[in-house]
Amino acid sequence: SSVVDGNFEEVPRETAIQFKPPLYRQRYQFVKNLVDQHEPKKVADLGCGDTSLLRLLKVNPCIELLVGVDINEDKLRWRGDSLAPFMGDFLKPRDLNLTIILYHGSVVERDSRLLGFDLITCIELIEHLDSGDLARFPEVVFGYLSPSMIVISTPNSEFNPLFPSVTLRDSDHKFEWTRMEFQTWALYVANRYDYSVEFTGVGEPPAGAENVGYCTQIGIFQKNGGRATEACVSEQHDQHVYKAVFTTSYPSLQQERFFKLVLVNEVSQQVESLRVSHLPRRKEQDGEQGDKPKDIGGSKAPVPCFGPVFTEVEKAKIENSPKPFCVGDKFFVPLQRLLAYPRLNRLCANEEMMRSVIADSIPLSSDGSAVVTDLCNYFDEQFEF
Amino acid sequence: MSGRARVKARGIARSPSATEVGRTQAAPLPTSVDLSNNEASSSNGFLGTSRISTNDKYGISSGDAGSTSMERGVKNKQDFMDLSICTREKLAHVRDCKTGSSGIPVKLVTNLFNLDFPQDWQLYQYHVTYVPDLASRRLRIALLYSHSELSNKAKAFDGAILFLSQKLEEKVTELSSETQRGETIKMTITLKRELPSSSPVCIQVFNIIFRKILKKLSMYQIGRNFYNPSEPVEIPQHKLSLWPGFAISVSYFESKLLFSADVSYKVLRNETVLEFMTALCRRTGLTCFTQTCEKQLIGLIVLTRYNNRTYSIDDIDWSVKPTHTFQKRDGTEITYVDYYKQQYDITVSDLNQPMLVSLLKRKRNDNSEARLAHLIPELCFLTGLTDQATSDFQLMKAVAEKTRLPPSGRQQRLARLVDNIQRNTNARFELETWGLHFGSQISLTGRVVPSEKILMQDHICQPVSAADWSKDVRTCKILNARSLNTWLILCSDRTEYVAESFLNCLRRVAGSMGFNVDYPKIIKVQENPAAFVRAVQQYVDPDVQLVMCILPSNQKTYYDSIKKYLSSDCPVPSQCVLARTLNKQGMMMSIATKIAMQMTCKLGGELWAVEIPLKSLMVVGIDVCKDALSKDVMVVGCVASVNPGITRWFSRCILQRTMTDVADCLKVFMTGALNKWYKYNHDLPARIVVYRAGVGDGQLKTLVEYEVPQLLSSVAESSSNTSSRLSVIVVRKKCMPRFFTEMNRTVQNPPIGTVVDSEATRNEWYDFYLISQVACRGTVSPTYYNVIYDDNGLKPDHMQRLTFKLCHLYYNWPGIVSVPAPCQYAHKLTFLVAQSIHKEPSLELANHLFYL
Repeated sequence: SSVVDGNFEEVPRETAIQFKPPLYRQRYQFVKNLVDQHEPKKVADLGCGDTSLLRLLKVNPCIELLVGVDINEDKLRWRGDSLAPFMGDFLKPRDLNLTIILYHGSVVERDSRLLGFDLITCIELIEHLDSGDLARFPEVVFGYLSPSMIVISTPNSEFNPLFPSVTLRDSDHKFEWTRMEFQTWALYVANRYDYSVEFTGVGEPPAGAENVGYCTQIGIFQKNGGRATEACVSEQHDQHVYKAVFTTSYPSLQQERFFKLVLVNEVSQQVESLRVSHLPRRKEQDGEQGDKPKDIGGSKAPVPCFGPVFTEVEKAKIENSPKPFCVGDKFFVPLQRLLAYPRLNRLCANEEMMRSVIADSIPLSSDGSAVVTDLCNYFDEQFEF
Repeated sequence: MSGRARVKARGIARSPSATEVGRTQAAPLPTSVDLSNNEASSSNGFLGTSRISTNDKYGISSGDAGSTSMERGVKNKQDFMDLSICTREKLAHVRDCKTGSSGIPVKLVTNLFNLDFPQDWQLYQYHVTYVPDLASRRLRIALLYSHSELSNKAKAFDGAILFLSQKLEEKVTELSSETQRGETIKMTITLKRELPSSSPVCIQVFNIIFRKILKKLSMYQIGRNFYNPSEPVEIPQHKLSLWPGFAISVSYFESKLLFSADVSYKVLRNETVLEFMTALCRRTGLTCFTQTCEKQLIGLIVLTRYNNRTYSIDDIDWSVKPTHTFQKRDGTEITYVDYYKQQYDITVSDLNQPMLVSLLKRKRNDNSEARLAHLIPELCFLTGLTDQATSDFQLMKAVAEKTRLPPSGRQQRLARLVDNIQRNTNARFELETWGLHFGSQISLTGRVVPSEKILMQDHICQPVSAADWSKDVRTCKILNARSLNTWLILCSDRTEYVAESFLNCLRRVAGSMGFNVDYPKIIKVQENPAAFVRAVQQYVDPDVQLVMCILPSNQKTYYDSIKKYLSSDCPVPSQCVLARTLNKQGMMMSIATKIAMQMTCKLGGELWAVEIPLKSLMVVGIDVCKDALSKDVMVVGCVASVNPGITRWFSRCILQRTMTDVADCLKVFMTGALNKWYKYNHDLPARIVVYRAGVGDGQLKTLVEYEVPQLLSSVAESSSNTSSRLSVIVVRKKCMPRFFTEMNRTVQNPPIGTVVDSEATRNEWYDFYLISQVACRGTVSPTYYNVIYDDNGLKPDHMQRLTFKLCHLYYNWPGIVSVPAPCQYAHKLTFLVAQSIHKEPSLELANHLFYL
């Protein structure tokens, strides 16, 4: 499942069968869909290789801890940097914290830091395990780590005759199973560790060969009795055998600094847009003064109008909130007004909270109930023509 | 015209190669190393998309359209190209020693660090081939990196060229990797060269190593610098975030390889392009929205939310919406909305927004047509500052306050960076595997040259501080002033009162400095730019010596239209004053003094002088900048002194399109300046010293091979017998080194007049640093001088002191300035033309400092 292998498997030079999108992408997309559906908070990918799957999953807003484990340390180091937050993540932080950790280690070793996960994926992993490791694998992953959900994918050997001259798909594969072999193993493991299992796959067989099944077979294991792991995590003895080779934390709205940054920005932007619509301006625009930013533009415009669009309920809420006002050359926007806008309301529940966060960054009226700013500023002059 | 066609048209018009100079003449280095985007970041690295310039005044990098736009690799190569121009060996008088000796020695600490490595350190350059050949660079790198043979070695690899710090056992190493399909790929690694640490290739590799190290410290590369977005400095009132960071480089200085680091800030705007557009639309209304929007946005650099890349906005396509489809690389069609949802889990909320169009850089060795990228405004953040923002005094002040660092603060940041590099296990590991060690901070000895006396009409003044001698000369008469008898003041009804009281004050202070100002004709004008221009047209006649306009607002159109008319259409010196400035309480006297000085200069007066021991010396200043309206036009401003006292100046400003044209117009200018000198002095100057500013990276070769010969030929042609002797000095306000003095266990700015001509200089150049300005709260930047041609044969001491003296002669400021006065005049002239006039000013004004 690495880049190297992946590219060779998916873009074979001589084979007749080509998957679109490439098979490895279909496998990753399968996991991603599963994550979208179940919204796990803690996800680990065992045998993460060059971390491609982790990179796909990290954009998911529900995940708060994402872990990759592999025995090839070089590969983890080489691509690990690409899991770091993007610069844009600092300007537009996530809602929830996210930590990504890459461990160097073997999946048949127990490490307590992988306890209590919601989802553990083993994509094209088990076929690389020799018989001894394969025997130990269920005990560690199902028995010890015991996450709520486990996804295991492996080649379906019944599909292999469709490839020209292939016995095993990779020289490092220790075995490739038929559907029957895989399902027998899976059902045995599920039964032993109290999981239920469903089978599916990706990579549709070509027309006429439907009977061979999917190219990649997948088992989805769900723990019976749901998430019971959390409680016993703390009782477990700390056992750190993996070596962390890469750790990164994402900025998020759960962190005070970034929450403040975002809130202050949203407030300044809203105040600015209200201020501009209060400016004395040319006649043609006068009719549109006031509190309806989305009206500015009009429908008969040569350019499309854009900017926030509000629902009727939101509009009513805005209209019913205290209006901005001017005193002399100062412009005031009541905090209650700001709270009526959906984007600010989403961030901030009440006036108290808003005041305390923005107070040292944005000038407030003497009673603290409104943001105050100069009605005219430097840029206004630049736009008079 | 379709968006695509338009951007193509623009792409050609704005093509960097049209304006980038020295690029076509550039011979490639023997081995071009471009590992800037190698293994550390192959898919979401920065792929040289940045157009970054540094606003040196504030020490801030701001993405700026008008500035250099090239791939990092290319840019690095251009730096190295400059280094290969060895000018010193041709200058016999400094071949053995280029250091001066006068002045008081001063101990200085620098921002340079030793980089230690074993004596016999070598870099091994290998070539790697694959059988069967692999097209994908990423795959080549992946295969090599995953091979156990190389796993623990320090390496840098771009897919073909491999650098190792340890030699492999064999000259040719055969490795093979097997792929999943059982396909065996043979990799042949062949030793090509063994490079000593002084090789330019090694220096490039050192730079790559340090870029990797800074990435390991969780810093992000934007352009050539590294920033730390997790510790932003916020300026909420201007919606700005400043990311602290460093500009770093490794290069050869006088005798050894040094690591240099300087604090830098990246300006990011806390708004998306969509938010910016929405706000702009509210301001402008619809009628001129698209036009204004394009004017504001095109050329800016944006940062996309979903990767680490930056793009320049080359166009806006108003006809494409996020709901439209585009063709993916695999040929399938998908809407932008679906694409961002699938690929990045991002929901595009505004389905009416137009698309930003960015012209993607071509890959190396790829001559195919440039690709276009459509970007969604909602997902793009603005970086840098617009021209409009940089002209906002309040904003720039706020930025300066946040970014200004005293020497001690700068020193702390440097110490922390070095500490982080040494403590971070990954960073240290990287250094150690290459066999490198971080050494000590460099200290050196500079010299403080003697201070200058200011010569007034009947008084010689020794200023308390060279930074500002306005108090010292308050009671002295200026050298020479022409009487102002016929002149106009244009003002509005609202400003008439303040104009009157200002006029009284002006006449009083002018009188005391020896400048007679008669009562003007006052004309009342309506408050709009057209009315001002109409009044000027109506009332200016050949007798009018000067027009003063009291402007009701700082709207640029007022200033531009007045200056344009009075500088070229109807050449009369003009003085614009903001009404707001005249309203400042308690400032009237000092404002009037400053304006009186400017007015007298504009009429051809002379304010002060310094002692110039050379009796027949002409000094010349040249600056080049891009026109604000048409970025492919270069504005070349030239200024030459026309009297031995260096108090009177001749100027020309010429608009050009290519670098060779620049050299040609220098010839035209020099001929004109020498004629003027001859007219006033009945002889040609014995010596000419040219200060050339506005030189970009990689342009040194063009200067040496083209400009200097053009200047020489104009000098030679002007006289049949002995011709004037010429020196040409490249002046750079932006340079890496910083110098601090250690005092009472803390570091401070060095005194004015500090000269550094050793250790931080380059062996192949006749160069020096001079500190000729003060920074009250920040860190002073030295100005860098590189003498590229010199048949005057002045001793380094004299060259340094002459340069220092010339920094005292800028009449717009009663104090020392950071560059020699001719450079500052040339800069002021080019700035006026590039920002406001956009055409050549009339030659009738050439003998006046009309551009102050």
